[in-house]
Amino acid sequence: MKSNHVAHALLRAVSRLVSTPRRGASIAVLCASIAQSQGLDPAALLHPPTDTWPTYNGDYTGRRYSPLKQIDSSNVKSLTLAWAFQANSQAIKSTPLEVNGILYFTVPEQVWAIDARTGRQVWHYHYKKSDGDHIGHRGVAMWGNWLYFETPDAHLICLDAKNGHSRWDIVLADVQLGYFATMAPLVVGNHIIAGVSGDATDIPGFLESVDPETGQQQWRWYTEPKPGEPGSETWPQNGDAITHGGGMTWMTGTYDPALHLLYWGTGNPNPVLAGDARPGDNLYTCSIVALNPDTGKLAWSFQPSPHDTHDWDAVETPVLFDADFGGKPRKLLAQASRNGFFFVLDRTNGEHLLTAPFIETNWTSGIDPRGRPIALKEKEPHADGRLVYPGSDGATNWMSPSFDPTLGLFYVVARRVYSIFYYTATGKPEGWAGRDHDIYEESTLRAIDYRTGEIRWNHELGPNESVAGILTTAGNLLFTGDAQGNLLVLDPATGKTLWHVNAGGPMFSSPMTYELDGRQYVVEGVQGVLYAWSLTE
Amino acid sequence: MTRLLALFCAALASYAQQPTPRGQKEFTQSCGFCHGDDATGSRGPDLVRSPLVNKDVGGDLIAPVIRNGRPDQGMPALPLPDATIQDIVAFLHMRVGEAAKSSHVGGDYPLERLLTGNADAGRAYFNGAGKCASCHSPAGDLAGIATKYAPLFLEERILAPRARSNATVTVTTSSGEQIAGKLDHLDEFSVSLRDAGGWYHSWPRDKVKVSVQDPLQVHRDMLTKYTDADIHNLFAYLETLK
Repeated sequence: MKSNHVAHALLRAVSRLVSTPRRGASIAVLCASIAQSQGLDPAALLHPPTDTWPTYNGDYTGRRYSPLKQIDSSNVKSLTLAWAFQANSQAIKSTPLEVNGILYFTVPEQVWAIDARTGRQVWHYHYKKSDGDHIGHRGVAMWGNWLYFETPDAHLICLDAKNGHSRWDIVLADVQLGYFATMAPLVVGNHIIAGVSGDATDIPGFLESVDPETGQQQWRWYTEPKPGEPGSETWPQNGDAITHGGGMTWMTGTYDPALHLLYWGTGNPNPVLAGDARPGDNLYTCSIVALNPDTGKLAWSFQPSPHDTHDWDAVETPVLFDADFGGKPRKLLAQASRNGFFFVLDRTNGEHLLTAPFIETNWTSGIDPRGRPIALKEKEPHADGRLVYPGSDGATNWMSPSFDPTLGLFYVVARRVYSIFYYTATGKPEGWAGRDHDIYEESTLRAIDYRTGEIRWNHELGPNESVAGILTTAGNLLFTGDAQGNLLVLDPATGKTLWHVNAGGPMFSSPMTYELDGRQYVVEGVQGVLYAWSLTE
Repeated sequence: MTRLLALFCAALASYAQQPTPRGQKEFTQSCGFCHGDDATGSRGPDLVRSPLVNKDVGGDLIAPVIRNGRPDQGMPALPLPDATIQDIVAFLHMRVGEAAKSSHVGGDYPLERLLTGNADAGRAYFNGAGKCASCHSPAGDLAGIATKYAPLFLEERILAPRARSNATVTVTTSSGEQIAGKLDHLDEFSVSLRDAGGWYHSWPRDKVKVSVQDPLQVHRDMLTKYTDADIHNLFAYLETLK
């Protein structure tokens, strides 16, 4: 208890120092103390990690490109199983964190800490049998000695990373209204930034920042502007559409410390398939928004799917990288969006730079002057059923993309999903107001040239929808899975297969990597099992 | 056309025969003027989306509002008998449940909602541009097809027959031997089949030549060619094959 108090005091001091970088020497001293406590100094996240994986995406950029290169294209043939952990659970969709030799990962209601060297359990936390959708869970965030875990009934729990004991439990949103939660929060300084899920009922989306020590709300940003505010003109001016407009914040965003901007994707508007109930673009649903992490104030926005009627959440990772574009060095943000289009923006101000399809689609008549796809009215859901590709599961979805800065290629698992959209409402639409049924699905992995949107290579992944994410490494490797239960390692320059194994089931997760005792591990979740791959010792 | 009208009337009749939901009459009489007969709002708020209604358990939140009104928001108190209030509560919960189930699209999906196409145009497409007649016949394999499947599933099976795959495969080994059979599995790394005697065989993909014959491939190839009108016309035509 006493040492906890010391750690709290240190962390409070650190979070104050983060905003005053001239005291760098003091930070270094504090970091040493915190390292002994096995926690995670939030200031450490300002420098891209090399041998650890301390956040959902590994670092703030969301590139999922690791500088580790012990496993490389010359030795990957001798990749072998280091250990496996059997969670005896529903499919693991989370990306584990790795901090000080411990992995932390989740499924709905449950958190595990396991030894990153051996795969042995350190502790297991089970929240309780809870209400809310248990569709999946993406992972935890860590700040100091504490983990932050969202529950199916939309609580945010602070756990002691030592033993999994609950420190506090706050309600983010009311499960009785239809909210639930699946996402891994993001730590920025002394902010725990948490999003929410839920589109079966017509409720407003929001993103919330809470105090890491107390759980007290610091700010809340609502996806829908208040009537009269900028953006409200994109909703009907009468009625209650804007206050029930959806737009959930259910995937972890990214952060640029130099610009001090948080980048977040938002989900579909509500009622989900009922466009006529909400004429207009419906800002800021299906958007990429840049927010000030201290205040939650909107800096800029871009909308990949204006007036969405197909459940094409724009929550896919907004990936950050600095690179030439049009002959000039730029601070870029790229997203391969669920609607089948790849977007590149200038992340300083949201200026649109590129829109290009990354898979065949049939729902647009072109791109508008602001770079947004123009939806065809006749492809909106209808009582008689309309054939649309991609279906609501999306051309891609929450599985992670990756960007390899050495090759300048953006990788995405892309799906050909053919689906029929039915509209069911007869009176005022509420909730989903319809649904789509998939007719056929197949998957492919695509390498996109970020400068042109050109597909540099294509690696077919077979029938079915792959939901495996992607990791690239400085060892010139790309880790993913296919839709038939094979784990794959590909050459990121050509897409050629370098290694594979039938893991006994499909990968429902995104791979991650770390190095311990001079040994590099790659961890991949396959259904309820975590596999750690390494080179033979 | 006569047939369509008859279908439509039958559907209306079956709709009319549905029992009136509990509390609907009471809600319409006492609440509908402000909240809409279906509770989705009119002069007063949409109650299907109301947090209070969504959090109510057995009338614990709704009943006091009905009894006491909300004078500050212009809602009068309604001195209704407890049983009537409970009926209204039941009706509101039913409406919330209907919204939650609005994503249900299943075998009970009404035929008349799908029948927007023209059967004659569908027949022409079947025999012409769609090339359906090259594999199928209305008097043969498709005889009575409309009686075999619920309308929704018929529309979907036109696009993707979900019958078990009847793909066959011929594998040629490095020695030139050919083995043919029913395709069992095919991915980037392996191929397997069942031979005519029912025995299972598998090979690494890089050791053999593989030739797959999949009669359903033409259906998948069509997915990028259909217009929605083609689909609805074809559906209207196949619905006539009783």
